[in-house]
Amino acid sequence: MGELEKSSPLTVPTASGEASISSSGYQTMTVPVAPPKKKRNLPGMPDPEAEVIALSPKALLATNRFVCEICNKGFQRDQNLQLHRRGHNLPWKLRQRTTKEIRKRVYVCPEPSCVHHNPARALGDLTGIKKHFCRKHGEKKWKCERCSKKYAVQSDWKAHMKTCGTKEYKCDCGTLFSRRDSFITHRAFCDALAEESAKAHTTAAGSSEAKAMVASPPPPPLTPSTSVVSPALSIQSSELPENPIGLSPLTQAATSLTNTTAAFNTGSSSNCSSSSTTSVFASIFASSTSVTAVSQPRPQPPPTSPSSFSNLISALSRSDCSTTIPSVSVIEPTSLSLSTSLYLSNNGSSLFPAPDNHQDPRQYASSAQPPAMSATALLQKAAQIGAAASNASLLRGFGLTTSASSSGQDSTATQWNMNIQTKPESGASVAAGLGLGLASAGNSGLTELMMGPASAFGNQPMTRDLLGLSIGVGGGGGSSTGGLSALLNSFGGGGFDITAAAATASYGGGGGGGSPRETWDGPSERKPNGPAFF
Amino acid sequence: MHVSMKTELRGSTKSLALQNSSTLFNTTPPPQGSLTGAALQGCLGSLDGACIEKLLLHCASALESNDVTLAQQVMWVLNNVASSVGDINQRLTSWFLRALISRASRVCPSTAMSFNGGVTSTIQRRLMSVTELAGYVDLIPWHRFGYCASNSAIFNTIQGYQKVHILDFSITHCMQWPTLIDALAKRPEGPPSLRISVPCCRPPVPPLLNVSGEEVGFRLGNFAKFREVPFEFNVINNSSMSSSTLSSSTSETMCIESSATFHFELLLAQLNPSSLNLQDDEALVVNCQNWLRYLGDESKGDSNSLRDIFLNKIKALNPRIIIVVDEDCELSAPSLTSRITTCFNYLWIPFDALETFLPKDSRQRIEYESDIGHKIENIIGFEGFQRIERLESGFTLSQRMRNAGFFSIPFSEETVREVKALLDEHASGWGMKRDEDHMLVLTWKGHNSVFATAWVPNNGLDIHQDQMGLA
Repeated sequence: MGELEKSSPLTVPTASGEASISSSGYQTMTVPVAPPKKKRNLPGMPDPEAEVIALSPKALLATNRFVCEICNKGFQRDQNLQLHRRGHNLPWKLRQRTTKEIRKRVYVCPEPSCVHHNPARALGDLTGIKKHFCRKHGEKKWKCERCSKKYAVQSDWKAHMKTCGTKEYKCDCGTLFSRRDSFITHRAFCDALAEESAKAHTTAAGSSEAKAMVASPPPPPLTPSTSVVSPALSIQSSELPENPIGLSPLTQAATSLTNTTAAFNTGSSSNCSSSSTTSVFASIFASSTSVTAVSQPRPQPPPTSPSSFSNLISALSRSDCSTTIPSVSVIEPTSLSLSTSLYLSNNGSSLFPAPDNHQDPRQYASSAQPPAMSATALLQKAAQIGAAASNASLLRGFGLTTSASSSGQDSTATQWNMNIQTKPESGASVAAGLGLGLASAGNSGLTELMMGPASAFGNQPMTRDLLGLSIGVGGGGGSSTGGLSALLNSFGGGGFDITAAAATASYGGGGGGGSPRETWDGPSERKPNGPAFF
Repeated sequence: MHVSMKTELRGSTKSLALQNSSTLFNTTPPPQGSLTGAALQGCLGSLDGACIEKLLLHCASALESNDVTLAQQVMWVLNNVASSVGDINQRLTSWFLRALISRASRVCPSTAMSFNGGVTSTIQRRLMSVTELAGYVDLIPWHRFGYCASNSAIFNTIQGYQKVHILDFSITHCMQWPTLIDALAKRPEGPPSLRISVPCCRPPVPPLLNVSGEEVGFRLGNFAKFREVPFEFNVINNSSMSSSTLSSSTSETMCIESSATFHFELLLAQLNPSSLNLQDDEALVVNCQNWLRYLGDESKGDSNSLRDIFLNKIKALNPRIIIVVDEDCELSAPSLTSRITTCFNYLWIPFDALETFLPKDSRQRIEYESDIGHKIENIIGFEGFQRIERLESGFTLSQRMRNAGFFSIPFSEETVREVKALLDEHASGWGMKRDEDHMLVLTWKGHNSVFATAWVPNNGLDIHQDQMGLA
């Protein structure tokens, strides 16, 4: 755990490196004491002179990489090897490292899709890259008993065990924090404090600072209204122990009830596939509405926040549909939260985020799925399909035509799965439209690839530009502006739905096709309660 | 990109792909692209970050040279690589692609579409509650690193003073101050009285709150009262220095929504002792967190840039200490291609950090990433006065500060210890290093993320000797 924090800066001047060798007889990995000249590192290009080492997974995980040339004994660390070599009583000259120069080494991750596969983001420390590989791409073998967090690296697990459950700070609103600074910051802005300041604060001071062990029963509700719904909810720790959101969204949610009940009933029914639940919700909320309206003490009640309300719905419906109460907080993503997420708006990620047992396998299956196809596979598929789709355009490929599949309208996870699977097809039609004649894998140039060879598929004339719009001659130059506006105009009138462009292609046109006029996240800017997704 | 990294392969079964990408890495991209088909296939098949970067650069240079067809082509390829639910590279790419498309539409004047007025972003603006923001800044130590270093330095500097006045220029709406108030409350000689002033205008960037600045100040005041620290909160604006007036809240909303530049000039006009109501017996502290980057760095003719004017004004106020915290990345270059490269090779850091701690479908992670996407869109999609994100690296900023007449003061050992303890509480991967410029830098897996520096004005006789050893 500590190694990464102590990694040396990425420039290691040779002068001090040599100094340390002559004095101690072995090279250390610590920061040089007085670097003669500190080169300024550009972020992202740690050290152009560094030696990039790419190990295979097997080599990376091998435990004894450093081998003594004399007796072939293996060591985990270079320092240990050097110490061992001293024991061989070598003459002074041979005690030196055999390498001529000390070059900084950086390591890349063998996993190609990993962010650390790129030499510009290599890690400077072998142990670091090993741990990274295990954490990211390895199996999580270590599990914390208390909170069920899993770790792939033993030292991470040990570090966690030290802090898990040892210190807990509890805000009056019920949220738990493992770190004091998060607790203090939350506390300063929490509603609970505003109420408390009305009472004598000397008594409160003692209890709020109390350190308690992890509390298992749900915390007491903040206002009378929440007592109606809290039995159905367990506001345990959320995805992070220091998530401070706690019960406050409930109060906000409660106030937004009157506005959105009807709309949300529709939404929740489609997910829970039982209309009985909606009436249950309606009755619960109806009864609590009047109570909550009174109990808002804050000077400035927040505007309606559909996210928290839908969280409420989702938690309730979850508890309704499945007996287990999820331990994830009510803040889990909902499509109604109108957040800026491509993920959410497109697949209607539904009111049942991952923790729900029902949806779990499907959701995880689709989210864990790697991108369906590589670009080259897409191009090959396009070649197979041929020139049939002569009018297919970039537009269609992006799924933005008005006749685009309305597959995105449905909000279930099944549909989301389908969307993933339709991606290759849409990509193929795009390829066809772009006139990319990749009949075989042996094409020579990117330019040729992209521009399309003269005999592109079928009889796609070169004069048609990529969009099949026949504007000017293919290629840049004079028609550039016209071509670009044609491109952009072809995306449909009204508000340009970038997300649709950027993301719906991934989903085969789902989600964005129905209402090209809306901005990306739908009407949330205008109508915060918008249930329009459903 | 001219990088001469040599790739040493040992027992790697994927040597071919790596060699291909290193070849790509070494060639300068000609405008039309001369990559071989085989290289392209190998590249896309493995979704290598270096290849994505190349594609982005191709697209950008195509846009800059008005080569629409090539731009479209590359965008199509990028679109198939990008994915909002894929791995980090894919998610980053989707934001970059979005920014490039946004830029493309701006390049073309005759387009029939509207982009919501063109100045503001197309990305949905999300408003958070104060408690949500409190959680947001704590997801990763990205912000808290700066808070901790700054609060510790401030605490040390104001020793012996009974009155403290902090000018807080930041984009995270006073999330820094509860911990300082808490520390002041526990001071052995009792807390000083604390006054915090914030500007009325704020750049229109996330994180955005669903309440006004006054409301934030009100809650902070509640907390200070609870901790028995005498406290006052002010919004610096035209009308008056008193808080919670109706006019100031509406003007503040106006400030947030309209273009930032004009209002910054207004703000600059307020940076004088009388408008700020400075007192002689108070220790004046200036805190700039993720702020200077929003002040224009282009000088217009003979006059200084906004940024330099701001620094001069601050210097004239003669504060006891100025803390500057920002992200350590050089993003102010006029060249689009260099911005893309730098941006792509920097913003993977918060993406990676978030992914390490938050599950795949975490709403918080998605929101945080979309805020970063907002930034990407501004850096790449806009130019001129609309490009408000003009980040300077710590090194460049330090030079600017020195040129403006400040000299840096080191952070005390106690501060360093506190920051280290903070990072220890977060899981491994986060580290810290100290630079010779007395700069503390937060690192993620060894890569620079955020820098923190402390300065005092070089005002000749006004330098307090005790400051040298204090902070």
